[in-house]
Amino acid sequence: MGAENLQPVNPLLDKRFVSAFVDGVIKTTSLMASTQVVVGKPTVETQFQAKGDVAGMVGMVFGQMKGTMSISFSKEAIFQIVENMLGEKNTEINASVTDAVGEMTNQIYGTAKTTLNQMGYAFEMAIPSVIQGTFTISKHHSGATLVIPFNLSNGSTFFVDITVIM
Amino acid sequence: MRKIIKKVLTELGYTNVEEADDGKPAFEKLQSAKSAGNPFEFVISDWNMPGMAGIDLLKACKADPSLKVLPFMLVTAESEQKNIVEAAKAGVSDYVVKPFNAQTLKGKLEKIWTKHSGSHAA
Repeated sequence: MGAENLQPVNPLLDKRFVSAFVDGVIKTTSLMASTQVVVGKPTVETQFQAKGDVAGMVGMVFGQMKGTMSISFSKEAIFQIVENMLGEKNTEINASVTDAVGEMTNQIYGTAKTTLNQMGYAFEMAIPSVIQGTFTISKHHSGATLVIPFNLSNGSTFFVDITVIM
Repeated sequence: MRKIIKKVLTELGYTNVEEADDGKPAFEKLQSAKSAGNPFEFVISDWNMPGMAGIDLLKACKADPSLKVLPFMLVTAESEQKNIVEAAKAGVSDYVVKPFNAQTLKGKLEKIWTKHSGSHAA
């Protein structure tokens, strides 16, 4: 259903564009949290929807292209990452957890942005927002959301959503 | 980010560490400590912060004669050439790009200490 909305120039169809974000996730979780992830099969959705209990989101602007990158974590996923990163065991989403989500979002976007700008894009750095709970974003445009799952060793999954508005 | 840096510093043996929410309270702490005769010996600052950014804190320190020689490391997700040039021009001691691991931070810290000690000896 989302495929007909994609235009030939949509960067979500560019493997290098998508790889920049995947590599950003792998590098960030590995270096900052000593956590190995397994990349799942990406899918395309027509409407963004958060999939976990807490999410980090950052806006991306390049010329006429606007987009968002978000990372949605289940509690199980983010608790494992924070434990690996800070040595803290958490049982609820507190300030420490939301700070970690914001920081990871910042680093993953920063890593991807550097790669993308070397490819000719000119994305700017932005400060991410962290959101808790279930939510949707309604859009009135021809965008689509690429959803990339990342699996952790404890069986949990977190998702990177990249939405591009042409 | 502060928790991560503090954890790494603790692992490396640096235990006398103070934190600030952003550049403004950090600059006030640096000035107060210097005035009180108990100056900080090293600054590690994120680039992107709400309020006063790390690059502006660096520039403020370099503009203050009492803080000018204080070793200053920027930690940031900004790894593009223009940012590195801006930080270098502002007088940053070194620059660590996120994401990083403890060994990278340790290496950068030691490099700054060596450089700083050398410049003082000279």
